[in-house]
Amino acid sequence: MKEAKLPASKAKKERLSKFTSFLFVLPYLLLFLAFLFIPLVYGIYISLHDYNLLSSVQPFIGFENYATIFNPDSAMNSLFFEGLGNTVKFVIFSVPLLVAIGLGLALLLNSIPGKLRTFFRTIYFIPYAISVSVVSIIFLWILDTNSGLLNMYLMDLGFDAIPWLTKQPFAWISLIGATIWWTLGFNMIIFINALNEVPEELYEAGAIDGASAWQKFIHITLPTIRPIMLFVIITSTIASFNVFGQPYLMTRGGPGDSTEVLLMGIVNLAFEERELGVASAMALLMSLIMIVISVIQF
Amino acid sequence: MKKNGKQIGLIVLASVIGLLFLIPLIWMISTSFKNDFEAIAGGLNWIPENFTFENYLYTLTGDGVDVPIFRWMFNSLFAGLAGTAIIVAIDALAAYGLARLDVPFKKYLFPLFISTLMIPFVITFLPMYMQFSNFGLLNTYAVLIFPYTANAFGVFLLYQFFKSFPKELEEAAKLDGANKWQIFVKIVIPSAKPIIWTLAIFSFMGIYNDFLWPLVATNSPDMRTITTGIAIMQQGSFTSSYGKLMALTTIATIPILIVFLIGQKQLIKGITQSGIK
Repeated sequence: MKEAKLPASKAKKERLSKFTSFLFVLPYLLLFLAFLFIPLVYGIYISLHDYNLLSSVQPFIGFENYATIFNPDSAMNSLFFEGLGNTVKFVIFSVPLLVAIGLGLALLLNSIPGKLRTFFRTIYFIPYAISVSVVSIIFLWILDTNSGLLNMYLMDLGFDAIPWLTKQPFAWISLIGATIWWTLGFNMIIFINALNEVPEELYEAGAIDGASAWQKFIHITLPTIRPIMLFVIITSTIASFNVFGQPYLMTRGGPGDSTEVLLMGIVNLAFEERELGVASAMALLMSLIMIVISVIQF
Repeated sequence: MKKNGKQIGLIVLASVIGLLFLIPLIWMISTSFKNDFEAIAGGLNWIPENFTFENYLYTLTGDGVDVPIFRWMFNSLFAGLAGTAIIVAIDALAAYGLARLDVPFKKYLFPLFISTLMIPFVITFLPMYMQFSNFGLLNTYAVLIFPYTANAFGVFLLYQFFKSFPKELEEAAKLDGANKWQIFVKIVIPSAKPIIWTLAIFSFMGIYNDFLWPLVATNSPDMRTITTGIAIMQQGSFTSSYGKLMALTTIATIPILIVFLIGQKQLIKGITQSGIK
């Protein structure tokens, strides 16, 4: 009798233990379902409907929203692909600079004395704490054609005023400059950490072989930090793909539509024209591109 | 000698770059103390000629325009603090459960949660807008708080910590008759304080500084956050009053700058740990 009862009570105890353990995960699981899983499914659902918020019915239309985006004669086609083109331009211009200058600053900080290093690291990192709207408004002011700080100095030196935000290529230069100022610190921090992980012995061995600083950088530093480098490139690419606030506030997509990035187009379509169906289809396609980029990492 | 010269050169270079990073902020503060006339005249005076507090008085008292700046600041701080508290509590529970307890299906749950780190916000923000809209919850605090709480970053960060946490402490407590909850509250959480601070700083900055979501999810003036509020002012009644705009951006930046300077170490730890795969 006793022997038969023991396993049963043990199984019961185990079930109870599993249940109480599950309670630890339950709150997060609920939030996960409500604010990640359901939106994901709901987003696909919306993208398969003619989902105009101003209309009283939102009929199912299958893949028509996607077909419109890929139909070269439709306005949605140019909206999506021109927006995507502008976003890709921003990525291509900004990522190499964000990575290279981030690494450059990390190398610079690593070669100055410890106390100063911490001090300058803080200074370079400060802009990262500021919100994109504050960053954009500060740069709007500095880059103002008539009374901005930058043009005042240029004119002082005898140059003409430059229309930083209303003519290309200056508009791109301004957006990328502001972005670099804002987010560079993040990459720099990761690189500083990666550089500290490079084993000192490797450099010592290099020094014995008579390697110059440049050779040590190319043959020792770069190969060692390669995985981190890849991580920084991917995260910078994803971050730049999400660009919205800077062109939304600084150039408002101009001059013309030249800086109207994809996310701006999607937001406009959804919240100005209330065309949520097509906008969701575009958002899904854009996300797909970003997911593919981040999968490369693994 | 040669080495010293090189060191000095590098320090000078670092200082010049440091100045480039600080100039926009110094100019912001300097402009905030100039009257609109002096600002627009575009002089290069770093110290305002006619030093004035009028921009701060004007924006803070809302004279002439309806600028509920205190309300915006309160919204941002409240959403930031409440969101952070929820994230920390819920992520710690989930991460501990997945790392140490006999949670059913944890082999599948953890990879499922972590894989969502790759899901960009773009994919969820439109349907999430509709979800809140369907329940009539736009322009509430719920909309400014809950969407941030499903992020798996904290679960990932704390999971790594709990995995490497020594088992002995837990086992000793178990022998003393403590249950899971008591062990979690009395032993695990106190030892995880530094990493929890890291998550808290990260979360607070993320919520306080977010722009796109509060921009689309709120439209009543009372429910704006400070980051979206100043953007609205820039496109509206302050459009070319740079003195007032700079006062507004200075006010918006002060709280987050304080958090940043206090929590810098934790922030750096979080960033470097997110880079370790």
